[in-house]
Amino acid sequence: MNINFKSKKSKFIIAGVIILGIIGYLTYAGIRDTKLYYLTPTEIVNRGSGVYGEKMRLGGVVTAGSIEYDAQTLTLKFVVTDNTNSLPVIYKGVVPDTFKNGVEVVVEGTYTSKGVFKAVTLLTKCPSKYEPES
Amino acid sequence: MVDLGYFSMLIAVVISVYGIVAAAIGERWNKTELVRSAENSAFVVAGLLTIGLAVLFYSFLTHNYRLAYVASYSSNDLPLVYTISALWAGQEGSLLLWGWLLAVFTVIVILQNRRQNRALMPYVVIVLMIIILFFLILITFITPPFKKLDILPADGQGLNPLLQNPGMIFHPPLLFLGYVGFTVPFAFAIAALATGRLGDIWIRSTRRWTIFSWFFLGIGILLGAQWAYVELGWGGYWAWDPVENASLMPWLTGTAYLHSVMIQEKKNMLKVWNIILIILTFVLSIFGTFITRSGIISSVHSFGQSALGPFFLIFIGVILVTAFGLLVHRLPFLKSTNELDSIVSRESSFLFNNLILIGVAFSVFLGTVFPIISEAVRGVKITVGAPFFNQVNVPIGLALLFLTGLCPLIAWGKASGRNLRINFLSPFIIALAGGVVLFAVGIRKVYPLIAFTLCIFVLSTIVLEYLRGVNARRKMTSENYLTAFTRLIWRNKRRYGGYIVHIGMVLIFLGIAGSAFNAEKEVNMSRGESVRLRDYKITYEKLVSYPTKSKDVVSATLSISRGGKRLGFLSPSIETYKGQGETQTGTEVAIRSSLKEDLYIILAGYKPDGVSASFKLIINPLVNWIWIGGFVLALGTIVVMLPDRREKRRLLIKYSREVFSDEI
Repeated sequence: MNINFKSKKSKFIIAGVIILGIIGYLTYAGIRDTKLYYLTPTEIVNRGSGVYGEKMRLGGVVTAGSIEYDAQTLTLKFVVTDNTNSLPVIYKGVVPDTFKNGVEVVVEGTYTSKGVFKAVTLLTKCPSKYEPES
Repeated sequence: MVDLGYFSMLIAVVISVYGIVAAAIGERWNKTELVRSAENSAFVVAGLLTIGLAVLFYSFLTHNYRLAYVASYSSNDLPLVYTISALWAGQEGSLLLWGWLLAVFTVIVILQNRRQNRALMPYVVIVLMIIILFFLILITFITPPFKKLDILPADGQGLNPLLQNPGMIFHPPLLFLGYVGFTVPFAFAIAALATGRLGDIWIRSTRRWTIFSWFFLGIGILLGAQWAYVELGWGGYWAWDPVENASLMPWLTGTAYLHSVMIQEKKNMLKVWNIILIILTFVLSIFGTFITRSGIISSVHSFGQSALGPFFLIFIGVILVTAFGLLVHRLPFLKSTNELDSIVSRESSFLFNNLILIGVAFSVFLGTVFPIISEAVRGVKITVGAPFFNQVNVPIGLALLFLTGLCPLIAWGKASGRNLRINFLSPFIIALAGGVVLFAVGIRKVYPLIAFTLCIFVLSTIVLEYLRGVNARRKMTSENYLTAFTRLIWRNKRRYGGYIVHIGMVLIFLGIAGSAFNAEKEVNMSRGESVRLRDYKITYEKLVSYPTKSKDVVSATLSISRGGKRLGFLSPSIETYKGQGETQTGTEVAIRSSLKEDLYIILAGYKPDGVSASFKLIINPLVNWIWIGGFVLALGTIVVMLPDRREKRRLLIKYSREVFSDEI
């Protein structure tokens, strides 16, 4: 390809490349700065001490009967499982309406050396209907 | 009755296959009657889909739980409006609604083009019918809404209480109008490629469809945001959730398309680009449904998951290969007749606006599918969340806001110093002064400060432009200000309506920028206790509980005052629904809304005797401007869409030759 830097077209190509370059860089830097592992309880347990204190997401199902909520301090304790391994989670804050036994959750926070996952955000998947147990 | 629905779908499948074949043969061997027959078959398909929708509608109204879909999404005690909206609460009904809308749009397109665009129409009909057929196959064979249960349940399972919100009535159908609407310009683009009629006729013919779709997609997104704002657990009005992103992406590319077609109309440039944009917009609409329905990416709004994923993926693949194949085939005929001249010009500022919009769409796409990519490449799921999207999109969004002020007023070809001075010097000074004032009153955060300053800049360019127009009219006609103002808009609806749309967008930006100044607090209060949040004093007065027909309500009362002045009471509550099976709670937030800010209170927990209760208190500054911006945007869009006689006459002159040759 023949690029003549004096031609009109090349000016636009340069401007366009600059814009796309900036957007590309922002995207790259964004991913670099904010990326989080999304792990299951088993994956976290297997990695063990290697991931202590690292910010990550944990996905799984809330074990039935494991929910304890202290309305006074807004502290929620529950267990997340992938049916192979389970992890206790502690979360402080407002609990979404859809949070209950057996629901799929994604929590964001850190896995501590005590084997507890300290969550700062709690997301629940909202099914569009009552899921009948079948 | 129910079987009528199923058989209608089955017959519709057969007839749409016929329509596609008839249109293809009619086009190939120049048989006008066959093309007409294909068009008529589209009418029949639309009729059959109407019957299908009516049957489902009737089944909901009569609580016919023999139908699995009706039993899954409604119950005897469900209020009428939500019984109606349950029609699109699940996948089967949503797809039926989608197919029906597309069939109705197809009928309208055919009626609009009885006497024009005859060369394009066979292909338009083929494309539209193939897409209808895709949805028909899904609702007939894969997830039929007319599936019957073996036993007749006494009551349905009811609609998830979270979906019992006014948002449910409008948000999904309006979003669908947008998604489905983009199919029309897409079909015309494909027809233009297939026939080699690559002028701007296909763009002109679908201008209103494009604006219509863009508008409803945008309003649908805003209504969804409004709903998520009041629904706890959905993370506020915008959480960069994959399902939300899925609706934003086609809106972004659609916005780019809406702008770049103007360059083709005026300058005959960007032909390839426009076709790519409309293909992308349509594919992203389908991709949005794919993300929503396949559950491939985890989302707080994840809908009933299903086996539809592969079907959508294959469909998307086929569309992309066909469309881009055609595009490459026609590439030699898509040369621009003009060249870009200067970097500082209308054309290039539109081009940059396009690049930025596509850049945003790309980064949103990448962030959304990142878990899939990382799992495929490295075997481990890596996600990026709201921080990623904010970090990337805030600066890009600000650049876009700046161009919103620049694009409409910068001169075509090459902007002279004079053009720049006339249009931008005073807005620049006003914005700068505004920025200094904002800085002086204590707004020190960089991005919001830039955002507010740019809002002032864009608004003043628009106000200035209106003033110039009004004054010019007054000089010529001696009308009073109001008449001059309304006539100015009336006589050039596209231009001045477009400015109104821009004002709406600026207000939305303003509201979003306000979120940088949020404040929140989680507190546990004893009865009679007060807390302060910014200048509000909030006192927990009492807790009451009472049952209603369908739920038990626990409601807290808080009195609000500011600077010693009583502002009234707020009552956030927790409702427990008495439905069958597991209990479902719903948290009703209480909001004191004003133009300056919303005070937003959540009841997070309580002691049964009401001695103490926990609350989350949030101040959301300027959030109301997002919704106001939506209204302004709607107003502007209506102006832009109104029929314009002058515009028509101009077009008629420009195209009389082409239309004439079309008739031969």
